[in-house]
Amino acid sequence: MRRLGPALLLMAPAVVMVGLLFVYPLLVSLAFAFRNEATGAWDLANFNKAFALYGSDIALTAGVTVLSTALVGVFAIAIAGYLTLGENPRAVSALRWIYRWPLFIPFVVAAQLMRTFLAKNGMLNNALMSLGVVDPLHAISLLDWRGVVVTFVWKQLPFAALLISGAMASMDRSMIESARGLGAGRFRILLEIVVPQVQSTVMVALILSFVTMLSALSVPMMLVAGSPTMLTVDMAWRVNSYGDYGVANALGFVSFAMSGVAAWFYLRQGIRDGGKPR
Amino acid sequence: MKNMHRSVAMSIAIALGSWGGLAHAQTTLNVISGGSQNMVDYITDYLGPLFEKQNPGVKVSVVGTGPDDAGSQKMLEKLQAQKSAGVATWDTDVVIPNQQKTGEMVQEGLLMKYRDSIATGKYAVSQSAKQALGVNVDGYVMPMFESQTAIAYNPDLVKNPPSSYDEMRAFVAKNPKAFGYNGLKNGMSGVAFIVGWMYAYGGNPDTVQQGPYDAKNSAGWKKAFADLKTFNQQVVFTPGNAGTLDMLNRGEIAMGPVWVDMFQSWKAEGRLAPNLRLKILSPGMPGQPYYYAIPAKAKNVDLAKKFIALATSPEVQAEGIVKRFNWYPGIDANVVKPSLDPKVWNALFVDITPADLAKNGKPFPLAPYFKDLREQYEAQVQN
Repeated sequence: MRRLGPALLLMAPAVVMVGLLFVYPLLVSLAFAFRNEATGAWDLANFNKAFALYGSDIALTAGVTVLSTALVGVFAIAIAGYLTLGENPRAVSALRWIYRWPLFIPFVVAAQLMRTFLAKNGMLNNALMSLGVVDPLHAISLLDWRGVVVTFVWKQLPFAALLISGAMASMDRSMIESARGLGAGRFRILLEIVVPQVQSTVMVALILSFVTMLSALSVPMMLVAGSPTMLTVDMAWRVNSYGDYGVANALGFVSFAMSGVAAWFYLRQGIRDGGKPR
Repeated sequence: MKNMHRSVAMSIAIALGSWGGLAHAQTTLNVISGGSQNMVDYITDYLGPLFEKQNPGVKVSVVGTGPDDAGSQKMLEKLQAQKSAGVATWDTDVVIPNQQKTGEMVQEGLLMKYRDSIATGKYAVSQSAKQALGVNVDGYVMPMFESQTAIAYNPDLVKNPPSSYDEMRAFVAKNPKAFGYNGLKNGMSGVAFIVGWMYAYGGNPDTVQQGPYDAKNSAGWKKAFADLKTFNQQVVFTPGNAGTLDMLNRGEIAMGPVWVDMFQSWKAEGRLAPNLRLKILSPGMPGQPYYYAIPAKAKNVDLAKKFIALATSPEVQAEGIVKRFNWYPGIDANVVKPSLDPKVWNALFVDITPADLAKNGKPFPLAPYFKDLREQYEAQVQN
């Protein structure tokens, strides 16, 4: 009991910060999603409007983030797997050097790069045209949800790969060696020996990526021409164009619900790992 | 110990002294500007240094909050917060908001009536100096510039550009995917195209622009929006005002709505193909001013007035607004013209003549109609 005092004192700044700057605004915004400014009552009007106008955007947001998360998972495991199991030291060190670069590039810069890279007559299509892969008449612009997926995956991949390769590096290598000794191929070792052992890290990396992508505003704003677009853009639009915080809060509620599902998995993972979420 | 006390006391005295001295020597005029980066550049590169030269000891500090309603909304919220907190003097001396948010700021009592107390006040003769989307702002604002939207096109690809919305529809039906615009949520040039469409096909354009507001009018837009939805099947969507220009430049589209000033500036900087040209569609496309305004409890009111008087003087409007930044003047054009080389003046009107502007340059709709228009587009065209 005597030691509780200093502990509380040490915790206080963090608790106050989180409470004032995160928990309180979060609760207010969740509550005011149910506030009907026109009548002063508490009802579902904001949600009705949000689903009527932005139903397809909600679906797109869920689809894009889930697809991006899945792709990040596949590629991150592939990269981390090669870093752990690769046999050509030069290729491994080249990959190790290069894969982290996008980590240091902010979302908004990544979006700006992709805006010129993925356009109809952008760098990607120009390169494909000069290689004769695509003919100019059939070149298509990727500046829609596909562009967002490409950008998200490109940007989040190094983060996930960094975490996963770290976990793989700290694994006990004896199992890999014995599997190899028994003649297992690299692909099989990766899927059946390595991935199951780093499973919890993979989950954590993917959940954090999912939440980050769900909250990105700059990427869909800069890349998606027309509609449907992502929820963050709609929220900004409601506030900026109509001063309408009600519907924006309702959209926020939906977005919180999505990240809430991810948070639930995250916490469950933490508890399973021994009671403290990482 | 005594020595230490003395040195502490001395350093405090020195610190206070130098701080006090600085405060006397330097007053900071805090300016917040909405609009794109070029508007911030206008103050940092041109107007600010000019004002500092004329007023020694004054420093002009400018912050840009970004284009469209979004940027000006930030300003509004900042002033509103200081008002509700009951702060005695606010930390902003001059704001440069767009039309929509200026109206809201006046309605919420966030701005000061100052125009008649500055010498250049008499030059504010345009309709937009009195009305901002249906809100009476007479006396609260000086227009900084007038801006206009128009269709930019590539004459190599389009020999006879459409000159009206009807011709545009015919063109798009014949040449699918040659026209591109940025829709509703990606910048005002796209919104302007939609507004022009509604002026052409929505009925009662005069009421929508001048008032009075009657919800019955906006209920009759279904057909026009249904047609726009069909039209949208044949066009390309571009990512933003700059996105339209980029796509024109890369030859991905042959035509699209743009801001005239942005188009001219990009062309002057060599960022656009020099052959691109402009045309306003009849019956009209909208344009808008940005305003100089003073917050109701600004700290340096006199200095703010002086700053705006300089900014709206005929010489500065000629040199800064027209010559360097390719905007149309915010004040009476007749007093600006004598200060300019006729060549510069004519370059401003090379594709769009003053007659075109007078005939087809329209304001944006009254705020409540504008809100209905955007929401109906979201509900009926985008879904």
